[in-house]
Amino acid sequence: MVKPLQGPNWVLLSLILLGVVAWLWLPVISLAPNRIVPGTPYTAFAVSEGGLFLALTSMLTMLMLGVAWLAWRATRKETWLALGTVGVLLALLPLWLAAAAAELAEPDLPQARITLGAAFWLLWFVLLLALIELRTRLGLSRPMGWLLLLPMMACWGLALWLWLEPLALLREYQARSEQFADALIIHLALVGAAVAASLILAIVGVLAMRRCSGLQRPGFAMLNFLQTIPSLALFGLLLAPLAWLGSQVAWLGALGVSGIGWAPAFLALLGYSLLPMVRNLHVALGAVDPAVIEAARGMGMSRRQVLLQARLPLALPVVVEGLRITTIQAIGLTAVAALIGAGGLGTFIFQGLGQAAMDMVLLGALPIIVLALVTDALFGTLSEWLRPGGEL
Amino acid sequence: MIELFGVSKHFANETAVDGISLQIKRGELCVLVGTSGCGKSTTLRMINRLIEHDAGEIHLDGQPVRSFNEVALRRRIGYVIQSTGLFPHWTVARNIGLVPRLLKWPKAQISERVEALMQLLGLPLAEFADKYPHQLSGGQAQRVGVARALAADPDILLMDEPFAALDPLTRQGLQREMIELHARLNKTIVFVTHDMDEALTLADRLVVMDQGRIVQQGTPVELLREPATPFVESLLGGLDRGLKEAALIQVKERMLPFGPRLLASERIAETAPLSQALSVMLWHQVERLTVVDAEDIPVGELSLRRLLGVTAA
Repeated sequence: MVKPLQGPNWVLLSLILLGVVAWLWLPVISLAPNRIVPGTPYTAFAVSEGGLFLALTSMLTMLMLGVAWLAWRATRKETWLALGTVGVLLALLPLWLAAAAAELAEPDLPQARITLGAAFWLLWFVLLLALIELRTRLGLSRPMGWLLLLPMMACWGLALWLWLEPLALLREYQARSEQFADALIIHLALVGAAVAASLILAIVGVLAMRRCSGLQRPGFAMLNFLQTIPSLALFGLLLAPLAWLGSQVAWLGALGVSGIGWAPAFLALLGYSLLPMVRNLHVALGAVDPAVIEAARGMGMSRRQVLLQARLPLALPVVVEGLRITTIQAIGLTAVAALIGAGGLGTFIFQGLGQAAMDMVLLGALPIIVLALVTDALFGTLSEWLRPGGEL
Repeated sequence: MIELFGVSKHFANETAVDGISLQIKRGELCVLVGTSGCGKSTTLRMINRLIEHDAGEIHLDGQPVRSFNEVALRRRIGYVIQSTGLFPHWTVARNIGLVPRLLKWPKAQISERVEALMQLLGLPLAEFADKYPHQLSGGQAQRVGVARALAADPDILLMDEPFAALDPLTRQGLQREMIELHARLNKTIVFVTHDMDEALTLADRLVVMDQGRIVQQGTPVELLREPATPFVESLLGGLDRGLKEAALIQVKERMLPFGPRLLASERIAETAPLSQALSVMLWHQVERLTVVDAEDIPVGELSLRRLLGVTAA
């Protein structure tokens, strides 16, 4: 599966050159005296005149150009070298940021904040893409790819912990660390509950559909319809009936069921999660090689044994795939649920938007992206591992 | 012993099997042969109740199959299908041990049995036990399929076109092994195929089916000699029947044990079929062949006259 490595690696070359251009000519960071005032942008070489800092900046530039050269040569050995260099660059970025923060620090402006500029985001993104490209080109497994990210994460941890106090994002976090923890837990709880409940309902529903095929059409029609309702509209629709339920049924009210809050959020998430879950489960169970089922029955397996020993294990990779899609979708949708007071990381996004504080928006948005990526990686690896004869 | 009495099966508005009666004796290798859609597979699958028959009765050792629990019944009957149906998520060893596990044999006994079967079917344990089905060639996979069917030592083996998807060489190899296995294990085998050569090679008894009915049954030679209908005749190869029959007779049946004569220049094994002897004669343009045994020692002579069955006596 490893492609022969010949000729320039155009993907890597264009990626890294894009990164270099951004690094040299776009603002990498900006410095603002406080939370509201827009900051002053700096390109990489404009941050400071200090010899040491310039040396560090030049080194990063050289490394990027080095990657470009390796991409041009692109033999197997050079591809490995490029992979290493990209890894080093990713690890150096937070350290460079820490150095830049130290250079820009002014004692008379203790509230000064550093915001990441377009070039920083772009460069980071480009380097991650380059890492993925090189990983696939070298035929390395997914977990190997995650291993490659470890040095970068370690450096980020170190930098954030020791030196990056002026980073606006960190300041936002420090101002709301307890709120943040709560929001994260609520977010995860909502997603987990909705996905788990939809999985259970999907299993029941799909088994019923398989028993009695007349249910299939109306079942899928209903789920499709549910999926087409915009999320905000669904929250709105749930408002009245749930408010009424909460006020009429005492124990439901005591549980916190009302027109706003976790109840409508949970129900809406559940509704949206059902379609991908049911569809995947249904397809997965139906797609098992009929010869295997025929043989299983012919060998004298009971209905139950066929389901549990043949159909389900063979369908599992596709089911996990469904779980992956559903969970990622739910992580994103839960952000919207903040609008009806369900809490979660979306709270920061909407508050930040209201206060025109972009760093607060990021405080909500970045963890959501990270959660989605981690979910994708976990379930993707699991699904690969579950395939017949699959190994990690 | 398997007996079918006036068995029929209808699907929607189509008659798949139309009132067939058939007796398959213990230890017999009975081949159901016919064009696709003639009802041979349906007949086979009614025996282990993967398909339930609509009319008539099917008996197993004198008991109607309906009187058994269907799951218990199938565990007593080996079943091999064309696409093998091996579990892709299980290793070879686990696939073979399937039925013994269903029957809750003790673990040690299962692994012992799996080992013995892999040996029987020429699958070295060290090499194959931990492989997955997708790592096997077609022939190897079908060997595993046969081993799995034999695992719980059933008296009856049902085989539904097991070798149809294999290349000719592999198929012939497996056919030879089937004949040996059958001779050694003495199972009752019902074998479905659309390949007449395969049917003639394997069958103790041939059952020709067409449009859900049995057209003719008998030994391969009986059918070749006296096809009941033009359909059977054409199925048997029309004018090629002579060669097909010659393929069923071994050289040693027609050879003259050695008299004091000169050795012929070309040799033929005593177990080779007459058709092969004829081919050698045609090729070398000779009328006499020296017959040799397994050790290549001359044991007799085959002349064209004897090959043709024109006996001097």
